[in-house]
Amino acid sequence: MQFFRILIIIFIFSIPLNVFADEAKNWLKTEIDKILYAYQNNDLPSENRFLMIEQTINNNFAGSGIAKFVAGKSWNGASKDTKLEYIKLFKRHLALNIASMMQGYSNQNYELTNTNYDEKNKVSLIDMDIYSDTGSIQVTWRVKKSKDRYFVIDLLVADISLVVTKRSEFNSMLKTVDYNLEKFNEKLIAQNDLSYSKLLN
Amino acid sequence: MDRLKQILGFLVIIFVSFNLYAGAADDVKTSSDDFETSIFEDEIYDPLEGINRAVFGFNNVADKLILEPTAKGYKKLPAPIQSGVGNFLSNLKLPLVALNQLLQGQGKNAAESTGRFLVNSTVGIFGLIDIADDFGLEQKEEDFGQTLATWGIGDGFYIVLPLFGPSNLRDTTGMVMTMMTDPVNLYASREGDSWAIPLRTAANAVDQRSQIIDEVNALRDNSVDYYAAVRSSYYQNRKAAITNTDDDVLTPLPLISIEFE
Repeated sequence: MQFFRILIIIFIFSIPLNVFADEAKNWLKTEIDKILYAYQNNDLPSENRFLMIEQTINNNFAGSGIAKFVAGKSWNGASKDTKLEYIKLFKRHLALNIASMMQGYSNQNYELTNTNYDEKNKVSLIDMDIYSDTGSIQVTWRVKKSKDRYFVIDLLVADISLVVTKRSEFNSMLKTVDYNLEKFNEKLIAQNDLSYSKLLN
Repeated sequence: MDRLKQILGFLVIIFVSFNLYAGAADDVKTSSDDFETSIFEDEIYDPLEGINRAVFGFNNVADKLILEPTAKGYKKLPAPIQSGVGNFLSNLKLPLVALNQLLQGQGKNAAESTGRFLVNSTVGIFGLIDIADDFGLEQKEEDFGQTLATWGIGDGFYIVLPLFGPSNLRDTTGMVMTMMTDPVNLYASREGDSWAIPLRTAANAVDQRSQIIDEVNALRDNSVDYYAAVRSSYYQNRKAAITNTDDDVLTPLPLISIEFE
């Protein structure tokens, strides 16, 4: 009897976690398909394709939060206008990074496999296996719910976090401009232009 | 062999002396108030950054001119050939993988790797076919760098090795230990077929590079500082390998706050 009680309690507590995880998984699948559709649609001009992808990414990533995190200690000393400019530039930078990565996966099949819900941090971790002829690669999406909708807060390829890598990379570059975000924005503009031209060609 | 032992001894001495300083420098913690975050390394101990960047530049050119085009050509081979080459090369690593698993106290994994080696080397035709996977004997990677880390030895400083790429003092030591103890390499040397050793290294490099063409290009094309991005990626990847992180829930990662403007 005791055993059944424990079983029922476990069952009751596990339902909401699974519901959160599955809901997040379904949402993510729809958004990934939107990006892949943009790549697979050959009728779309390259510029429009990127705009479509950028819009999807901006709508679904916690761009401002990630931007702030990545800026690290340079954030506090910057003016409001500089911060807003930086967030705008960072969102484009993020879109270019993800678009560039997803471009490579556009002809491959994928499957959303494991989903875990990190109850402590309220984050869903969704594994995506991307298959090629010779093997597969795993991408893990970290998804958080806020105001009744989901946002991607990070993605990991082969255990490497995009957000942590960006922070380390930005920190290294920010050091060269004495953590001046305004000066860094100029570098970010140049990099975005370069990335954009590479993506389109 | 004596020369190799001397080099190893030298590396261990350097490693031990620098490791004392590296421990403190590696552990820079975030303490900003404007975002929620868990603890993670913000900076990597890189006292040779100037030299490392120069070597990294050289490696990058070598990659663009030689490795990437070769890997792209290799990718055009029929999939069974690529899989066969990949399986064969992975199988050759297994004796040392099993040894390192044993040294890390992973008896079950060591037994599985040994079983994997035996099955694939025989039924799998010299390792060309990964039959063991069908028996539930999964591929797992362990090397001397990971073993040293498990024994409590810190990273040491970051170093970019010519042609071999990103590493640190501990992993470089591990790499030298691998070179010295690899049974396949030792056998080739003894038989007078030392030419096979660099060939095997090159084949491994091409096979591994072919699996991350898109990822490397995405990183290279979109980084404000490609050197720092690779350095961070290397450390994250190694940390996950050392802790054998299969479950990302356990990985301490930043908790980004969601904002609306």
